[in-house]
Amino acid sequence: MSVLINQETKVIVQGITGREGQFHTEQMLAYGTKVVAGVTPGKGGQEVHGVPVFHTVREAMEHTRADASVLFVPARFVKNSATEAIEAGVPLVVTIAEHVPVQDMMYCRRLARDRGVQLVGPNSFGIISPGKCKIGFMAHRIFSPGHVGIMSRSATNCYETVFMLTQKGIGQSTCVGVGGDMIPGSTFIDILPELNADENTKVIVLIGEIGGNEEELAAEYIKRHVKKPVVAVITGKNAPKGRSMGHAGAIVSADGTGSAQKKESALREAGVHIAESTRHIAEILLNLREEYEL
Amino acid sequence: MKLLEYQAISLFNQYQIPTMKSAVLSHGECFDDIAGAEDFRFPLVVKAQIASGGRGKAGGIRFAQTMKDARKHCRDLLGRELLGYTVYQVLLTEKADVRSEWYLSIILDRVDKCPMIIFSPEGGMDIEELARTQPQKILRLPIDPFIGVQPYTVSYLLAKSGLSPFYQDELYKVICRLYQLFLQQDALLTEINPLAVCGDDERIIALDGKVEIDDSALYRQKVWLQAREVMPEEDFVKEARAFNFLYIPVEKTGPVAVISNGSGMLMSCIDLIAKEGIQVSAALDLGGGATADRISQGLRIMLSTPGVKVVLINIFGGITRCDEVAQGVRDAVENYLGKGQFVIVRMEGTNKEKGVAMLEGMDNSLLMAEDIRQSVDLLVERRDLL
Repeated sequence: MSVLINQETKVIVQGITGREGQFHTEQMLAYGTKVVAGVTPGKGGQEVHGVPVFHTVREAMEHTRADASVLFVPARFVKNSATEAIEAGVPLVVTIAEHVPVQDMMYCRRLARDRGVQLVGPNSFGIISPGKCKIGFMAHRIFSPGHVGIMSRSATNCYETVFMLTQKGIGQSTCVGVGGDMIPGSTFIDILPELNADENTKVIVLIGEIGGNEEELAAEYIKRHVKKPVVAVITGKNAPKGRSMGHAGAIVSADGTGSAQKKESALREAGVHIAESTRHIAEILLNLREEYEL
Repeated sequence: MKLLEYQAISLFNQYQIPTMKSAVLSHGECFDDIAGAEDFRFPLVVKAQIASGGRGKAGGIRFAQTMKDARKHCRDLLGRELLGYTVYQVLLTEKADVRSEWYLSIILDRVDKCPMIIFSPEGGMDIEELARTQPQKILRLPIDPFIGVQPYTVSYLLAKSGLSPFYQDELYKVICRLYQLFLQQDALLTEINPLAVCGDDERIIALDGKVEIDDSALYRQKVWLQAREVMPEEDFVKEARAFNFLYIPVEKTGPVAVISNGSGMLMSCIDLIAKEGIQVSAALDLGGGATADRISQGLRIMLSTPGVKVVLINIFGGITRCDEVAQGVRDAVENYLGKGQFVIVRMEGTNKEKGVAMLEGMDNSLLMAEDIRQSVDLLVERRDLL
């Protein structure tokens, strides 16, 4: 088992005829992902790596009944493409681009909730269930199948962690990039119930950072519902004050909301193992390895 | 992007949110250049336009009783340094006959993930200060983007803050217009503090304005995109932006600069270095897929940051290829390295072996590390050289 996606998941690629769309469609197909259709307005009838291209998501859905769509479109087109996928009834929509206008995401998130669609991203590497399916642009060679479920706001910190885990023979069940933006389609508490219910996931890793209150909400959920061990890291403790890094979401408010200290203490209180760094996550998991057969 | 007060006021005027009669004067101009200066009703308030709070205490807000006073204050303020900023504009406004002061803002709320109205019948002071001293006086009301601002929204605010329904229509107009501004200008924050009740007829007037625009939306907010180019900003930030990199000043001074291909890893690096008691002066986010010549320029910018002795580069290449990184680093080390400066490189991912081979045989101005931890250890071992 894995969460959100598996070897049966049928995927639409929006923006499939673009440079990134073509390249990553090839990568996803090579990994075994069932890419069943592509969408680019005006390019219907073409093929990209053997995948049929449609003008619209609605047509692609009529032909394929896909389970998920991934958006390889520039930030300024995300609102249109995500809205199109949501309205066409795609159950899972993954957006990759960074620098999506915040109000566009506010709208898309609101619409997705209204229609019961799971929206993931933006500013996200996507989702991967190692050995089964990947949706996104992550460097998949470093991932390996196993029992650690990961949710991360940062792509690079997730790669670091996964790289060390794989080197030590600890595989992953599913890794979800919730993304580094201020208003993500899904946050930790949207993914946690899935990882918690998944019998193949034995340990959960949360890679958070300063800004917002998603880690605090996750802590509350963990305290109430999660029996599995959870390991968390919060980066950005020494990031400059009042100035956001490339992750628009990584900023502490003037009232102190979003500080690493608050997040760590909330998580610690919920019984979460707090790691000092990505390397420390791997060390903690090594200690849990035998008990949980990782 | 944070707008200056005069830019916020001009937006209020554009959206017909009531403000006092005002004029903007730029560096190089004098009071008499204002068209219709003689029509102003004195006293006037003369406010220095800088991107910092606390300007009142620093002498940046002055009152002019006469034309002569106004001329003097404008001359005095324009071009001078205030709290570390040069004053390029002053805003002159007629002084209001204030009966009471409220607070109103619409922000993008990260917790509820929607616009949020924040209102208080106790305006004028800093909202953070008010939140500390009288939190019960602050109302927070989320706006559902599918519903917007409705008359009952305002009835609720007035009722909960103990104000008379007399203000219903006027406050509704102000909040609707502020919400329009918020949406159409891609704002993250619009604040009126104080929103003042003025004169015998109790008109509601915005006496100050703060607006912050979403940087990601500047492509469709052309006016602000252009305004940003002439705004005072660190030269390095602008230079890096020309190469599509994000330059982030971290500490005021420090011997270390860091480069990575993602914000998450940059934050991880800064955390590890700061834990060793070493200060990082700046960080550079290359984003994905940087090519050799751009990486070389990125490294040049960091090497030219004042006080920087060492640049620590951490790349986890997915889209970014290690051989491109190596080529760029090699080029920069050969051409831009100053006396006593050195570079620490850690690369992982696509084409790693090729990249590492390209950097072998360079002298001790370039050190290779296996992972982030080791890159920081190499730095700590050379603490004496910093």
